[in-house]
Amino acid sequence: MDSLTLFCTGALLAGGLYWFVCVLGPAERQGKRASDLSGGSISAEKVQDSYNQYWSFFRRPKQIEASEKVPDFVDTFYNLVTDIYEWGWGQSFHFSPSVAGKSHKDATRLHEEMAVDLIDVNPGSRILDVGCGVGGPMRAIASHSRANVVGITINEYQVKRARLHNKKAGLDSLCEVVCGNFLEMPFPESSFDGAYSIEATCHAPKLEEVYAEIFRVLKPGALYVSYEWVTTDKYNGDDAEHKEVIQGIERGDALPGLRSHVDIAEAAKKVGFEVVKEKDLAKPPSEPWWTRLKMGRIAYWRNHILVTVLSFLGIAPKGTVDVHEMLFITADYLTRGGETGIFTPMHMILCRKPETAKSS
Amino acid sequence: MRLLTHNMLSSNIKGVTNGFPLRIEAEKVVEKQVDLNIDFLKNMFPKIEWKALVSASRTMGYAELPEEVEPSKLDSEEFLRKFHHALLELHLEEGALVCPETGRRFPVSKGIPNMLLHEDEV
Repeated sequence: MDSLTLFCTGALLAGGLYWFVCVLGPAERQGKRASDLSGGSISAEKVQDSYNQYWSFFRRPKQIEASEKVPDFVDTFYNLVTDIYEWGWGQSFHFSPSVAGKSHKDATRLHEEMAVDLIDVNPGSRILDVGCGVGGPMRAIASHSRANVVGITINEYQVKRARLHNKKAGLDSLCEVVCGNFLEMPFPESSFDGAYSIEATCHAPKLEEVYAEIFRVLKPGALYVSYEWVTTDKYNGDDAEHKEVIQGIERGDALPGLRSHVDIAEAAKKVGFEVVKEKDLAKPPSEPWWTRLKMGRIAYWRNHILVTVLSFLGIAPKGTVDVHEMLFITADYLTRGGETGIFTPMHMILCRKPETAKSS
Repeated sequence: MRLLTHNMLSSNIKGVTNGFPLRIEAEKVVEKQVDLNIDFLKNMFPKIEWKALVSASRTMGYAELPEEVEPSKLDSEEFLRKFHHALLELHLEEGALVCPETGRRFPVSKGIPNMLLHEDEV
């Protein structure tokens, strides 16, 4: 080959590689880059150990004895996965029904906007995001409703990321983020006009405990909506395969025991809420929420190679490969959960704190 | 952390009956410019604990807020600008929020208040 052809071939290959890795790769343009993957607030040399500890703590999610340690391990989980989620999935750490003709980003936004529409708040209202992650939903909801959103998350690294994103989006006058535990929230009672939680309360060992806190901080008459991760009426606890799928989901997502769909309304009523509406948003005519996970297979392999190389070069912390693989295996369990219909991440419950409320 | 946020935070340590307002220890205060939004301010006003805002802004070095506010003041642009400045433009970057009853310090670092309780405080 003469040198011109060689040069052109080389340039074409380099361009193709760049496109495959850097353009096709990250979930968002100018979002998190693979070279910036970290273990959150965990220093690079401790990532491998933290992962090993996490993996053994959640070995039998429904039989965790030291439930008071769960918040610490949820915090560890999010230190390990936040960067990978932002890189590979986006700023909204939750699922949405797919919508024909709309991108994942748009479908996600619609799902988030629906949540705030359900709690019927006005511009200038103060609403609480329970388990706000890095604030993807918060930003969509603040711009859609013009309400003042306060987010709480147990993970300090996520608070940093959320504030950064809020500032970049020009929403830091409407959005605020506090580092705290939603089981013991640092807000006085009756201080919010509304509240929502998107796929976050699943991390609480007892649902009543987080619901009771939300009840306490809401004003009488205010509404709360939650998208819950639950097993459906198709789930059979005696079926070995069903049990395997659910345990796989619990272990890989820091869940101390997935609840059944019937447990949700029960917990809400127990703490004093009136249940206004309940619906599994994944049921038809909604399009599947798990197709996004399935389409990620090629992406997984590319990312796996990338993360392995970066780890080898010492750019990504040791242990990142294990975390990434855990998430891939978990994605497989989630997909199976969706396809069999035994699991849904979007059981919606809309609750009201009664006007003349007595705390339970 | 803006004073809008401070105005809604309280100490929830076990046994504490009055955890609001948290006292501010200001080590680093930063001013950040925010566009004035009169509707927002008028809407927010009834939800704000006024005395807490006045003393918090004083601790942060701003003493322009009046102790008492008659309703007619809400039509005064001069008052609204002061309210706006205290509520949204003063940021506590480094310091602490202190429980008024127990003295326990909740650190504020890089603008983030860490309100996580220790095991024995729950």
